[in-house]
Amino acid sequence: MPVRPITWPLVVVLIFLLVVTLFPIFWIAMTAIKPPTDWNAVPAVWIPAEPTLINFRTLFDPDAIRDYGVGGVSESATAAVIGSIIASVSATLLSVMIGLLAAIGLSRYSASGRFTPLLILSGRMFPPAAIAVPFVIIFSAVGLIDTYLGLIAIYVAITLPFSTWMLKSFVDEIPREVEEAAMVDGKSRFMAHVTVTLPLIRGGLFATTLFIFILNWSEFLFALVLSYTNIETIPVRLAKYVTATAGTLYGVQAALAFLAMSPLVIAGFLIQKHLARGMTFGAVKR
Amino acid sequence: MPDGAGRRRRFVRGLMLPGQLISLFVLVVPLLVALALSFTTWSPTRGSLFDASFEGLFNYEELLFYDTRFVEAVVRTLVLAVVCLSLEFVIGLGMAVLFMREFRGKSLIFSTLLTPMMVLPVVVGYTFWMLFQSNGPINQMLELLLGDGAGLEWFRSASLATATVIITEVWHWTPLFFLILLSGLNSVPENPIRAAVILGASPRQVFWRIILPMLLPVIVVAFVIRSMEIIKLFDEVFMLTRGGPGSSTETISLYIYKLAFNDFQLAYGAAAAFLVLLGTLFLVDLLLTPIRKQLLEGRN
Repeated sequence: MPVRPITWPLVVVLIFLLVVTLFPIFWIAMTAIKPPTDWNAVPAVWIPAEPTLINFRTLFDPDAIRDYGVGGVSESATAAVIGSIIASVSATLLSVMIGLLAAIGLSRYSASGRFTPLLILSGRMFPPAAIAVPFVIIFSAVGLIDTYLGLIAIYVAITLPFSTWMLKSFVDEIPREVEEAAMVDGKSRFMAHVTVTLPLIRGGLFATTLFIFILNWSEFLFALVLSYTNIETIPVRLAKYVTATAGTLYGVQAALAFLAMSPLVIAGFLIQKHLARGMTFGAVKR
Repeated sequence: MPDGAGRRRRFVRGLMLPGQLISLFVLVVPLLVALALSFTTWSPTRGSLFDASFEGLFNYEELLFYDTRFVEAVVRTLVLAVVCLSLEFVIGLGMAVLFMREFRGKSLIFSTLLTPMMVLPVVVGYTFWMLFQSNGPINQMLELLLGDGAGLEWFRSASLATATVIITEVWHWTPLFFLILLSGLNSVPENPIRAAVILGASPRQVFWRIILPMLLPVIVVAFVIRSMEIIKLFDEVFMLTRGGPGSSTETISLYIYKLAFNDFQLAYGAAAAFLVLLGTLFLVDLLLTPIRKQLLEGRN
């Protein structure tokens, strides 16, 4: 399409869009640095006069807030942060590894006809609330409930469609001839993929890994229904804060929300060129 | 070379096996268990799974004909899908068209406008819950603009609570439409447009007659993906309204969650889940109809 310069009314629209987009994020950030006296003030405080990091400290040291005369923070969020890291990182690495194998199979060998693509995609069709029902039953029976292993298995299964199809779209862009040349040179099929295909899709692999991490880190429902006492993730902790305290701990909650979202916003910025590809299973390229 | 072909087949099988195994054991097997369960009236409060007795289509009949809360949740989810997707599409398309123009700081502004879709649904729900508090910033702005007393009790009335859900969804996911439609616009070839302009077409005609038809496959992909996701809508509503007041903002997923994990009616919840799956498949099929031909032709 031919490119035209922008006009003044459109600049106003653009500024409006930016304000609407950024305001909720601004509010989280400001609430996270409000001292307890500003949390629930009437009228609401937009920018705290005395910004503080006490909310972040309270997350990991519940007693930190005591000097302010605020009770009610009972548990540290350390376990949730560690839990989120364990579950998301391991599930992401597994999902990308398994997805990479399947992507090469689908792209290079049009593997397994129609059934496997559908099988792998089925993880996206079902509402999580629906799959969660049998999981709780089966996992209780086999002792996987409230364990990282169980949670990671689910995360891998539900992100596999994204990693497989996103990686397939990257492999599709590499000409087969380069791999075939390596095989003619005497490399085995496996080594040809490792030494030729893999380096060529390095950027795509990186983007896929971050994208899958975003999905795993964001997951809420399975973590909510499958965790009792042994495991916890950040989204579950955030939901518990809201339930347990009826919203009186704005600052501490906002600090956790801010911590939860920061890595994803950074990851998203790094791979924004590929976000559309990931979200649409590679159907939209850029 | 029969040996080479056999080795190749084994190699391909090895590539696919891990994905097949995890999908089979973590998706297909549980789904079959759920399907079997949906024909019983079992609940963990009624003893072992083996005590469950076959009740035929009892749950399904109950859901479709007697459970008004379920039917309402289905209708509500569909209405939410239509309203949210229309708004997201129109705003997203407007943003994409805006970005076909040249201006300073374009790439930075582009990145900034994409931020919402990277934020966790739970955090989005929590944030908007804070924003819509009666002494929150949104009411404060309303009072500033419209005078004292203009603030609203967002979570106390069914229609206002629904509005908070819609606003939240639209904020969260319009960037996806923007991103997908902009990719589409950027890949529209220039030649047909130039030709049309030379032949005397107005910019409006060029947009409606040439650009939009070429965008159709991309638009359908965006709608299919987003409707699949919105049928699963849970996290944001859970944080925002918990389905309240009453059950006035309850989505299907939230209702199934409450059935299974608050009331322990697992079999009944499983039946509801299967009805939703059937509905989703039907809907996706319906949405794909206009471009199926194009997709098939493109492949062959």
